[in-house]
Amino acid sequence: MNIISVQNIQKAFASNQALKDVSFDIPKGEIFGFLGPSGSGKTTLLKILTAQLDPTNGGAAVLGKPAKLMQKSEQKQRFGILTDTSGLYERLSIEENLDVFRRLYDLPKSSIDKVLDFVNLNADRKKRVSVLSKGMRQRVTLACAIIHEPELLFLDEPTSALDPVNTAHIHKGLRYLNEKGTTIFLTTHDMTEAESLCERVAILHKGEIRAIGAPAELKKTHRDGTLTVELTSGKTERLAMNEDAAASIASWMTSGQIDRMYTNELSLGDIFIKLTGSELV
Amino acid sequence: MNVSLKRIQAILIKDYKEFSRNYAISVMILFPLLFALIYRSDGGEQATMYAFVMNFSLAMLTSFVQACLIAEEKERSTLRSLMMTPASMLDVLIGKSSLVFIISAVVLAASTYLFGFESTNILLLVAALGISILLYTAIGTICGLYSKSLIEASLSVFPVLIIFTVGPFALLFEDDYPVLAVLNYLPSSQLSELLTNMEVGASGGDLYMPLVIISIWAVVVTIISFILYKKRLMDY
Repeated sequence: MNIISVQNIQKAFASNQALKDVSFDIPKGEIFGFLGPSGSGKTTLLKILTAQLDPTNGGAAVLGKPAKLMQKSEQKQRFGILTDTSGLYERLSIEENLDVFRRLYDLPKSSIDKVLDFVNLNADRKKRVSVLSKGMRQRVTLACAIIHEPELLFLDEPTSALDPVNTAHIHKGLRYLNEKGTTIFLTTHDMTEAESLCERVAILHKGEIRAIGAPAELKKTHRDGTLTVELTSGKTERLAMNEDAAASIASWMTSGQIDRMYTNELSLGDIFIKLTGSELV
Repeated sequence: MNVSLKRIQAILIKDYKEFSRNYAISVMILFPLLFALIYRSDGGEQATMYAFVMNFSLAMLTSFVQACLIAEEKERSTLRSLMMTPASMLDVLIGKSSLVFIISAVVLAASTYLFGFESTNILLLVAALGISILLYTAIGTICGLYSKSLIEASLSVFPVLIIFTVGPFALLFEDDYPVLAVLNYLPSSQLSELLTNMEVGASGGDLYMPLVIISIWAVVVTIISFILYKKRLMDY
């Protein structure tokens, strides 16, 4: 069953075509990464999927219903969203901010303790948001988005302001949420994050999907068919994968000269640059 | 449209906590009380000054606080976060307006007590002030929606304050400038007229006509504020 099904979506703002015929499906329980530089159309698509914008053409179904119904209270109960414009109440404490969301989702008080453990902020729950660091605020915003344990979670750069320790903590939590059945739609610039979290990724550039698939599949598809051999002498050889290379490797192995050997796969960032000709920033 | 009392209550509680900790805005509750004490008078002919205190309080407290609450939610992007929860547009608007309504009602009642205004028809006075609070809340909503920041919102209320508070006094020059007759239809002028008529013991149409005009203002401005609120949220 698909949680998100996007069919030939187009969106134009005056003369600017923000999305050009975008189609993809996300099955239930997947962590799907949407990669693209600023202005590639990621936010526009996120807004269409959450009914904040209407597409010019095409359509999408989210959680089994047309995307245009996503602003209905019953549907809003089923998804959570964290974007770079998600705000917090500065004069309220972390706990009070979460209490607002708890009441709006009609949840028990225990949901606050649970989500604070999830984002590792239980000890700081009484602190006012106005005194928090950027990373802590990001974690509070994430907590507000997941307090109701949604079926579908939209995350826009969820760990952009976090240090490695907190990023790892959030990743662990997201995997846990995913194991419990939450489908995650993640937009990110962080290729390491995309590779470690996402089962599939789509590369969006100038409103078009240039590639879609599992990170390992994409790497396999775009590898250059060479391997690198590092010899004990310190010399490095780059070889095409053919019979001549096999003979050379056999010879080095017999004489114990091989220190390290690996296939030359592109990183997701390299694949992005190869497909779009631009840096992922 | 879907409306939930629990969600309205959640927004009301949240706004109360924010309001009580925002001294730049919550200090506004002192002005009506202060004005009531300054202009209090015993005996007859209280109505004109009492109407001035009420009109000033409605603009300076009701419209100002509502404009600031709406503008701050927009400025900090919390309105967008709220709209992504099950809260409907109406939940948010009613929740925010409820706080301003309750605060205004309590402060105006206290001001009336401090001023010492003696009403011959308490029900009519409560109705006129209640409807006026609704009207000035809607005006505050419009000011807040068209302001990009808290500072802009606080400035946007000044034209309202000037027109609605000074309007009834400008009618003193109506004979010299007939065009000023239009100011008779301001809700503040009508409130002033209603209070004066109550004071002189008028009855019937003399009392109810001003109330009807204030009610028309309240209904029209509330509808406009709701339409603009819906439109601005879609663009925001």
